[in-house]
Amino acid sequence: MASKILSNKIYPIVFLTIIVLISVSLLIYINSITSPIVEAQQEAEIKNMLAGIFADMDDFKYEDEIYIIYQDSEIIGYAFLATGKGYGGKINILVGVDKNFAVEDVVIISNTETPGLGSKITENSFTDQFKGMAAEDIALKKDGGEVDAIAGATISSKAVVEAIRKAMVEKINLLEGD
Amino acid sequence: MENKNNNKKIRSKHLGAQFWKEFSKGIIISNPVFILALGLCPTLAVTSSLDNALGMSAGVIFVLLCSNIIISIIRKATPAAARIPVFIVVIATFVTILSLVFQAYIPPLYESLGIYLALIVVNCIILGRAEVFASKNSVLLSIGDALGIGIGFTLALVIISLLREILGTGSLSVFGFQLFKIPVLSASPMTIFILPPGAFLVIGLLLALFKWLGVIKSE
Repeated sequence: MASKILSNKIYPIVFLTIIVLISVSLLIYINSITSPIVEAQQEAEIKNMLAGIFADMDDFKYEDEIYIIYQDSEIIGYAFLATGKGYGGKINILVGVDKNFAVEDVVIISNTETPGLGSKITENSFTDQFKGMAAEDIALKKDGGEVDAIAGATISSKAVVEAIRKAMVEKINLLEGD
Repeated sequence: MENKNNNKKIRSKHLGAQFWKEFSKGIIISNPVFILALGLCPTLAVTSSLDNALGMSAGVIFVLLCSNIIISIIRKATPAAARIPVFIVVIATFVTILSLVFQAYIPPLYESLGIYLALIVVNCIILGRAEVFASKNSVLLSIGDALGIGIGFTLALVIISLLREILGTGSLSVFGFQLFKIPVLSASPMTIFILPPGAFLVIGLLLALFKWLGVIKSE
């Protein structure tokens, strides 16, 4: 009897299907337990970063890919993500602007630039330059802007600058359109 | 009746000895990294610090143990033609469980292991033990095999990461606690040992050392 089942041609297919079904249901169950925890962590992380940019923040709201920052229920600024294409891959940047759309601060969330060269985009000596700038000033000096590129890492610097300007122009248009 | 009991005793004693044999072989005689030279890719990648090595080892032991148990349980029902896909589904399931749990409860370790956590799926140690051992042996022996090989893997990773971390940073820390610091070395550490070339250097020299020791012993 057992050998009859085992030698059946469709038995391997049935067996593999059952294994996959068990595996998938187990994973769905475990994911349903862990995903709320992971989401809560990510939210806490974003909140930390926003609080790092806006010291006076006491609340924030996420709407249409823009974080609206509140202090005593009044809007004090906005933050949004910008993505640049650097020398080594994607650069993710969090940009914070005040309510007049001047840069409050920028934070490089993640990058895969060359360690020691392009990775200097995360340092304050580079990111502090953006503070107080309006969208139209944000360009490298050689392109007529106000930002000093990092020596030896022009591509990385340019990627950051372009990403920030593009995101700012886009989001400001969106916010002013409201 | 007495005879039967005696038989049982002999059998259980025999089983214990076999379990011990399968367990102990993985640690030294067929150490997965130094002797079988399996799983070198994750070994090279995660041994830049002791923390990463321990995290990776815990992950591999968990996946190896669970997959060996399941594969051994279903070994008689598993059709030969579909065995490799079945093994991979079982292994991938446990790796995914592991990475979900790490992501939720130990996010720093999850970040630093990065892609290598997911790549436990294709770690040839695990698929190798499934194919060579668990699919042909009882559950108990498969547990012994998994624990032995797992501890052997851990031992290898710990030795390599100790050397790399001490030489490359001049200090040693476990889970954020600094154990010691070598004054001269930590001021100007040999950073190359933390970088990928250092992994090749250390593993190459250790493999040569163990080969040499093995040759001396067999002579």
